[in-house]
Amino acid sequence: MSEFVIFFLFAAIAVIFAMVVVLHRNPVVGALSLVASFFALAVMYVLLEAPFVAALQVIVYAGAIMVLFLFVIMLLNLQHVAEPPTRPIQQFLGYTSCAFFGIGLVYYIVKYAVFTTQPAGPFQADARAIGIRMFEAYVFPFEMVSILLLAAIVGALLLSGRAVGHRAKIGQEVGR
Amino acid sequence: MAFDTTDVLLSILKIAIVLGLWLNVTPIMVWIERRGSALIQDRPGPNRVGPLGLLQSFADALKFIMKEDIIPAQAHKWLYTLAPTFGLFPALTTIAVVPWGRAFMIPEMHIAGRTLFEGGRWFNPIVADVSAGILVIFALASLGVYGITIAGWSSANKYSMFGAIRASAQMISYELSLTLAAVSVLLVAGSLRLTDVVAQQTNYYYVLFDVVKIPAWNVLSPAMWISFIVFVVSAFAETNRLPFDFAEAEAELVAGYHTEYSSMKFALFFMAEYMAMATMAAVVTTLYLGGWDVPYYNEPATFLGFLVSFLAFLTKVGLLMFVFVWVRWTIPRLKYDILMRIGWKFFLPLAILNIVIVAAFIAAGWI
Repeated sequence: MSEFVIFFLFAAIAVIFAMVVVLHRNPVVGALSLVASFFALAVMYVLLEAPFVAALQVIVYAGAIMVLFLFVIMLLNLQHVAEPPTRPIQQFLGYTSCAFFGIGLVYYIVKYAVFTTQPAGPFQADARAIGIRMFEAYVFPFEMVSILLLAAIVGALLLSGRAVGHRAKIGQEVGR
Repeated sequence: MAFDTTDVLLSILKIAIVLGLWLNVTPIMVWIERRGSALIQDRPGPNRVGPLGLLQSFADALKFIMKEDIIPAQAHKWLYTLAPTFGLFPALTTIAVVPWGRAFMIPEMHIAGRTLFEGGRWFNPIVADVSAGILVIFALASLGVYGITIAGWSSANKYSMFGAIRASAQMISYELSLTLAAVSVLLVAGSLRLTDVVAQQTNYYYVLFDVVKIPAWNVLSPAMWISFIVFVVSAFAETNRLPFDFAEAEAELVAGYHTEYSSMKFALFFMAEYMAMATMAAVVTTLYLGGWDVPYYNEPATFLGFLVSFLAFLTKVGLLMFVFVWVRWTIPRLKYDILMRIGWKFFLPLAILNIVIVAAFIAAGWI
């Protein structure tokens, strides 16, 4: 019973804050609401008896990625610009198609997922079980992801950095 | 597992003990900081309020309460008000997963015709003994940066903003070294649970042809020395203490992220800083200094054993916190780019190297 109450409380928190992310005009408030939403999701993992996944959720998303997001938002120092409504037909089409898509999604989730399937017992989600699966069954996708991330880092360096000679010149000026 | 009233009451007792200790850390540490800095700088320090100036913290607290609470006109009112609590929340909750004494058996008691603790009951001095203990600490510690960042941003002040940006960049960098340094300890313990980490350290190593026995504290094992240094220095950076207090940096940024704060809101930042420091000291104690273990003494599973181990834990944490104060008044503030360079180019590779060393030690059967 208490699990039931906790689930719906934190589910409500997650959904409400997720809506604030989309609807609020201030990007910093949006980023913080996303943190709150992630935190509520972590509670869901605890309810599923997977504290390891919950801790990872908070460390990776709330603790690292969202701090970077906030860092970038604050560096850009975004200002409020009241945008005049442009292209009313496109806006109308966008809103209606989104609404239909949302309704359809909820319908199918309710019909096929919720209230019909039961989880087949407690699943293994401690550090040992995840480690063994990651380095045995899923070692190839795991390595592929790391190569993808490496490529992303190299790409970011290439796009943000200037030519090597130029950077060396800057280094001399600063005195490194 | 079913809970009965006794379990609930014991849990509330544990929470009360930890919370009481942690709330009292700030006044005590403020006194130690002020008298300690005076000692190091060869001056008397505050000595007018009470014997040895011991009541100075109460005078400070009274002053904080009496001050006017100002919210700047340009500030984001909601976030400006919430920011101090963002800082305080991780500082107060992290300690829940740290064990602070030897578990002991509460014997059956008969008081006023009622039987208490029927058949005896184990008292495990830790608020929440979760299987992902150390990860919970890192998860909550990583949220500590939000207090500083949001305070700096919502104040609508350029200096606060600089403090906030520095804090977020610094904490992201040092969290990596901190976590990777702790991985070495977890490899030896073979568990993420902090009670297991401490239990492993209550054993002994036999050195010099198995004649001399030394406690198996991680800090005493040569494989851990790099990891210990990296962890402690990163802990200084993570708690924003000198020589790494760039979020505050009085000399450059007025008071950094809390420039605009006054009254009890400012006091909350103060409390959060000292509680985060106490938590870090407790984590270092647990991971490297044997937690509540007293060397060469086998704590019995009774109340006496618990008391001795609890005092040992408090002593270690207290000594470490004095080191925090000592370092603050001895080493000057670094330059910001040096801090970032140390973090990424020096500590991160060292922490990874130490994991390899520890793995080799384990493979060779030396640990």
